Amino acid sequence: MIDTVLQAWVSFCKPLGLNYGFVLDASERASFVHGLWVTLELCAWTMPVSLLFGVLIAAGLSNGPAWVRGPLRGFVELTRNTPTLVQLYCAFLVLNMLITQHLGTANPLTPFIWVVLVVGLHKAVFHAEALRAGIEAVPPVMLESARSLAFTRGQTLLRVQLPLAVRFALPALVNNLVDLVKMTAIASAIAVGDVTYESIMIWSHRDNVLELLLLILIYFGLLTWLVSVLGRWLEQRLRMPGYGQ
Amino acid sequence: MAMRRFFNMGAAAALLAAACAAHADATLDKIHERGKVAVGVLVNGGVFGSIDPATQQLVGWNPELARALAQGLGVQVDLVPVQTATRVQFLISGKVDLLVASMELNPERAEILGYAPTPFYRVGGAAAIRKDSGIHKWEDLRGKPVCVSQGSSFADPLTKQYGAQVKGYKSSSDSLLALRGGQCVAAVHDSTLIYPLLKSNPEWSGYEAPIADTILPAISVVWTRKGEKDTIAAVDKIVRGWHRSGWLIDTEKRLGIEPALPLLQELKQQAEKEGWAPVTAKAASQPPAAGK
Repeated sequence: MIDTVLQAWVSFCKPLGLNYGFVLDASERASFVHGLWVTLELCAWTMPVSLLFGVLIAAGLSNGPAWVRGPLRGFVELTRNTPTLVQLYCAFLVLNMLITQHLGTANPLTPFIWVVLVVGLHKAVFHAEALRAGIEAVPPVMLESARSLAFTRGQTLLRVQLPLAVRFALPALVNNLVDLVKMTAIASAIAVGDVTYESIMIWSHRDNVLELLLLILIYFGLLTWLVSVLGRWLEQRLRMPGYGQ
Repeated sequence: MAMRRFFNMGAAAALLAAACAAHADATLDKIHERGKVAVGVLVNGGVFGSIDPATQQLVGWNPELARALAQGLGVQVDLVPVQTATRVQFLISGKVDLLVASMELNPERAEILGYAPTPFYRVGGAAAIRKDSGIHKWEDLRGKPVCVSQGSSFADPLTKQYGAQVKGYKSSSDSLLALRGGQCVAAVHDSTLIYPLLKSNPEWSGYEAPIADTILPAISVVWTRKGEKDTIAAVDKIVRGWHRSGWLIDTEKRLGIEPALPLLQELKQQAEKEGWAPVTAKAASQPPAAGK
C-alpha cells in the first residue's frame, strides 16, 4: 500500500523536474525517516533543557547574590555574542576531544548530548533575558505587598514574580522556541543524524538537493507552526482578564 | 481534467527542454565573450589543493589544472573554492562553468551532469586508523563508526558493502579531528589526502593506513553542465593534449604527488598511439592570471 502511494508520488513529481526516487530505496527512506525522528528528539530535549536553564539564569541574574550575578552575566554575554555553530565546534571537536583524551572510551558525552547542551544553553540565555524583562516589569508595589505578607525572597520570586514574568515574557519565549527548533539543524555539522544531516548524506550521493531541501523546509515549517500554535494557546490560557490587554 | 493538466505539464517540460537545447552550448560562447572562465576547485588541504599561507593563492593539483584549462581555452581564470556537499549546485546554478573538484565519475552524476570523458586522475578511498586498532582490511570495519566528509562517495560502499556506521562531517578536516577525538575508529578520504598526511605530519604519528587496497577507485574528470557539447569537446581536447605532452606527469612530479599514478603513463601511451594534439600549460611559477 505505502509502496504504491510512494511510487505514484515519485511518478507525479518526475515531470515537474523533481526526482524523489530516493523514497523508493528502502535504506535511504529509512535513514530519512530516522532523521525526521531525531530532529523531533532533539526538539523534545532542547526545549525543556533551555527553559530550565533559562529560569535558573534569570533567577540568578535578578535575585542572586553578587558572586552569582557576575559570572552569570559573563556567561550570558559570551553565549549570546558568539555563533552557535562555533560553540558547537568548540565544545565537540575541542572540549570533547580533551575529555576523551583523559577518560578514554569511558567518555559518556555523545554528539547528541553535546548538541542538546550547546543549543539548550545558547537558547537558555535568550530565555533568561526575556524572563528578566518580564521580572523587571512586575510592578514594585506587588513586591512590596509580598514583603508585607512576610514572603521570603525565594517565595516572592516563585509565587509572585515568575508567574507574572512568564506572562509578560511569553511572546518572546515562544519566539525563542521557534528559533530553537530551527537551530537543531546545526546538529548535522557533527554527524548527529537529524533530518538535515540525513538529507545531506542522501543528496551528496544522488545530487537531489532541491527535492530534499523542499522536504526539510516543509518539515521545519510544520514544527515551528506547531510551536507557535502551542504558544498562542498558552497565551490565551494564561491571560489574566484586565491585566495587560 | 487531470489528463489535460498532465499534458500541459508535458508540453511545458518539452518547451523547457527545447529552450535548454537551443542554448546548450551558450557556456562556451559566454566564456569567450567574457574572456574569463569560472572554475570550481576543491581545496581541502594537501597537494591536491590548498591555500599558500604566504601569498594567499590557491595552489596544488586542482588549481593548477584549472589555470591550465583556462590557458588552453585562451581566457582568464576565476578560481572558485567549492565544498564537497555543494559543488554540484555551484555548477548547476551557473556560479562556475567547470568543476575540477576531485569529483569522480559515477553513473548517478553522469546522469545529471556533463563531463569531458578523458580522465585526468584516478582516486580511491584510504582509511586513516589508529596504529593499535587491529584493523587490517575493509571488512574489519563492520559495525564500527567510520568518519567521512559529507558528500563523500565512499559512504555508500562503506555502509552497504562493509556494514560500517558512517558518520559524515562538514569537511575532511572535521572528520579527521573527530577521528582523533575518538568518535570513530577510522577516517576514510581520498587516498591522495590520507597518504601524504600520515607520511608527512608528526601529529599523525599514532595513525597509519593499514588497508592495502583503496575503496571505490574511480577516475576524476572535468565536469560541465548537462549537454554542453562544445564546452565538453573543447575541454576534452585540452585534457587529451596534457596526456600527449606529458604535462600531467610533469605536474604530478613537480607537486610531489606520490606514488605516481600508472594511469597517467597508460594514457600518455594511448595519446601517442592515437596522435592526440599536445597541449602544455605554462609553468605555474609565474603569478597566476586572476586567481584569488
